[in-house]
Amino acid sequence: MVSYSKETQTPADTQTHTQAKPGCCVCVRACVAEEEEEEEEMADPKPAEDSQEEKADEEEKQEEVLPKELTEEEKMHLLNSEEFMAFFDRGSRIVERALSERVDVCFDYSGRDLEDREGEMQAGAKMSLSRVFSDERWSKNRVVTCLDWSPQYPELLVASYNSNDDAPHEPDGVALVWNMKYKKTTPEYTFHCQSAVMSAAFARFHPNLIVGGTYSGQIVLWDNRSNKRTSVQRTPLSASAHTHPVYCVNVVGTENAHNLISISTDGKMCSWNLDMLSQPQDSLELVFKQSKAVAVTSMAFPLGDVNNFVVGSEDGSLYTACRHGSKAGISDVFDGHHGPVTGLSCHSAGGPVDFSHLFISASFDWTVKLWTTKSTRPLYLFEDSCDYVYDVMWSPTHPALFACVDGSGRLDLWNLNNDTEVPSASVVVDGSPALNRVRWAHSGREIATGDSDGQVLVYDVGEKICVPKADEWTRFVHTLVEINENRDEGDELAAQRLLA
Amino acid sequence: MLPKAEVEETLKRIQTHKGVIGTIVVNAEGIPIRTTLDNSTTVQYAGLLHQLTMKARSTVRDIDPQNDLTFLRIRSKKHEIMVAPDKEYLLIVIQNPSE
Repeated sequence: MVSYSKETQTPADTQTHTQAKPGCCVCVRACVAEEEEEEEEMADPKPAEDSQEEKADEEEKQEEVLPKELTEEEKMHLLNSEEFMAFFDRGSRIVERALSERVDVCFDYSGRDLEDREGEMQAGAKMSLSRVFSDERWSKNRVVTCLDWSPQYPELLVASYNSNDDAPHEPDGVALVWNMKYKKTTPEYTFHCQSAVMSAAFARFHPNLIVGGTYSGQIVLWDNRSNKRTSVQRTPLSASAHTHPVYCVNVVGTENAHNLISISTDGKMCSWNLDMLSQPQDSLELVFKQSKAVAVTSMAFPLGDVNNFVVGSEDGSLYTACRHGSKAGISDVFDGHHGPVTGLSCHSAGGPVDFSHLFISASFDWTVKLWTTKSTRPLYLFEDSCDYVYDVMWSPTHPALFACVDGSGRLDLWNLNNDTEVPSASVVVDGSPALNRVRWAHSGREIATGDSDGQVLVYDVGEKICVPKADEWTRFVHTLVEINENRDEGDELAAQRLLA
Repeated sequence: MLPKAEVEETLKRIQTHKGVIGTIVVNAEGIPIRTTLDNSTTVQYAGLLHQLTMKARSTVRDIDPQNDLTFLRIRSKKHEIMVAPDKEYLLIVIQNPSE
């Protein structure tokens, strides 16, 4: 088909070029080639060919909507070709010259552009990396399984690690005590044991002792007064103690009356006297409804309570339980999560108003949920993460602040008095390793997090975020009222929808 | 003309230059053939910059058919993207100039 057109060559070409979509360069090159060849020929056949090419365009467009990939061989072939060498020689030369130019032609002396960047600078002022603790020999290739700050010496931090698959001759369980006060990059104390350490804690009323719960079910006690790196006391590996991994250890009570509580994943809870670990003082099977043993992965005691506590299990459910009394064992079950519960934290910021009935839980289902012991339905759902949330902890000083870490390397700080939809501060760790644990320092000003590469990172939190003002508690009361109202509204709507 | 080992060395030198976030080499069809960024980012950059370079080149040539595009530099608030075009390939370097 021949059609006549009075258009000149150039506009027709432009038309083709602008209509050609990326990836359809075959036709662009064809046009260019034709242009060169047919420079002296009529403009007339051109439009016809254009429309035919346009049809081919569209077909190619449809084929190439999916990004084309080249195989490695094709890529290597291209990279080795002469044309590529020539191009690269020229291109890299220019690029390197341009890269070395450091002049910022856009600098604004009036400072007006800094207003835009204020958001960014503020983010930096919110959380800054203070220290990174890692040991070539003992922490590399291991995952940080637990962190705890010393109650007596606020600069000491114990981190426990699991086994190093690359070093089968090294002990499977390692616990290192790191010191924030000095610039030394090696651990203050190094402890081992034969099985991977899954949880660790400073013994609250014994400044020299560190307790570790291991994968084999043994509880080990390390003493920094001894010269040994191995444990000074160990619980027996028998049915009277634990035979399953112990993910939770905690010293609860007062100076004169305290116990070490440990729970293993078969639901067995033992309480021990730190002077004698050869047998538990007391043990209890945590079963739900007389049949289902609870596979406990996390545990938390509310502030000031030594009898009632909350546990989270592998199947995503949360339970309240109590240690003593006629109803010792599991009391209530909460709606829970859609995946294993990875972290639990009870509200611990003491102040004019008591929020100790609140607790938060983190789970593999990408969410953090806020609960109250007074109700089995969650108060609020925090869905900002796109990966497994591995741990969560309330700030020890600020009533509305908590931190959570997830598998994409993000450490988020949520201030519920500011915003319940998004975190108030967020930082991504360099290299985005999965962050397994998060622990606020007792001062509430620093936050430590352990990752899957064996590194412990300590962040300083900006004053504006972590220091509570006097009215934070009353503001939090209002926030909770709002949350409760929204929850009830949400439930009503859901109920209406069901009826409709 | 550079032997192959020097290509690798040069790419490495560019990549480790202060502030460089990523380096991508794209062929004439917009398909990335070497990259230091992750796949989805690379595909996005390669596609978009390829389109832009084609448009820039056609702009230059429409104004003056004897002229041709030699270098394209996009300065944004956060980054600087440099594109060294050629008949067959594109070399894209993304730099954060404030570092």
